[in-house]
Amino acid sequence: MERAQLFWEDVQIGQDIPTSYTLKLDATRFVLQVSGTQDYYPVHHDRDFARSQGVPDIFMNTGFLTAATGRLLTDWMGPEGRLCKYRIEMRRMNLLGDTMTVKGKVTGKYLREGKHYVEADLWCETDGQGITTPCKATLLLPSRA
Amino acid sequence: MPESKKSPDEIYEEAKKMIGRETPPMVYPYSIEYESIRRYCLMVDDDNPLYLDPEYARKTSYGGVPYPPLALFGIMGRGSPAMMAGLTDGSAEEPLMPPTPGKFLINMAQEWEWFASVLVGDRLTMTSRIGDVYIKPIRIDPKAFWIVLEFHFSNQRGEKVGVVKNIVLCHRSPEEVAAEL
Repeated sequence: MERAQLFWEDVQIGQDIPTSYTLKLDATRFVLQVSGTQDYYPVHHDRDFARSQGVPDIFMNTGFLTAATGRLLTDWMGPEGRLCKYRIEMRRMNLLGDTMTVKGKVTGKYLREGKHYVEADLWCETDGQGITTPCKATLLLPSRA
Repeated sequence: MPESKKSPDEIYEEAKKMIGRETPPMVYPYSIEYESIRRYCLMVDDDNPLYLDPEYARKTSYGGVPYPPLALFGIMGRGSPAMMAGLTDGSAEEPLMPPTPGKFLINMAQEWEWFASVLVGDRLTMTSRIGDVYIKPIRIDPKAFWIVLEFHFSNQRGEKVGVVKNIVLCHRSPEEVAAEL
């Protein structure tokens, strides 16, 4: 489905990013994670190995979490938006069996050298852990002007 | 590489000397392809036609299918071009990592910046660099090492397309910490 184009003038500081979505982190999702990231480190797909490393279960890798938060942004900003800067922190694990929701909120917008920027906080949260993965992003958007 | 016979402070002195060390540029052996993008999007139920429909993407200002911006590190992060091409298992390759007292590695954060888009058909080159090493205590290890690894990407025209800073925590087990006291 085509994404609508977002314009800088239409963004309000403090607004929720409307493209929030939820994924069930079941076994199939973990298989998709390995396929999508080509990350074969067993702590992300082998439950016995993960437990031998002192963690409670397999957990999603960084590539999956950046993809998940990236989707929130690219769904929202439309085809002519651009991601300029991004930071992600892995504070808690997104574990097998969790339900993970990706959310975001606009924290700023500004003009610099004729370009139109938006800043946002985003995060993954799970039913078991709350916010697991806070992120910050800076976007470049087209202007209606 | 854990070095258990030296004290963390001695290892830290060695590790600091590696700050700024970088690999030669590594050219990825394949061009950016549609199929890896399809799998990447499927992973998070992303059906964005910008990434999955070449006809749609051609009509945008990209002029073709762009690589999802946060996929950039994944394609190059799986090892050297020789490893990715199946020419070696990597056992003979020296990783760009400073010495550390502990063997437990955790990826804590990533910082990204983009300078140009990457499209299907582009051929990327990556240079890795040790950006920083410092000691910052965590609950179970008062001498935990924090390592900043930088990955600089350019395209086949020599244009800089992005940089990723990966912040890694390396710590000892509680038993190893207790043995030092």
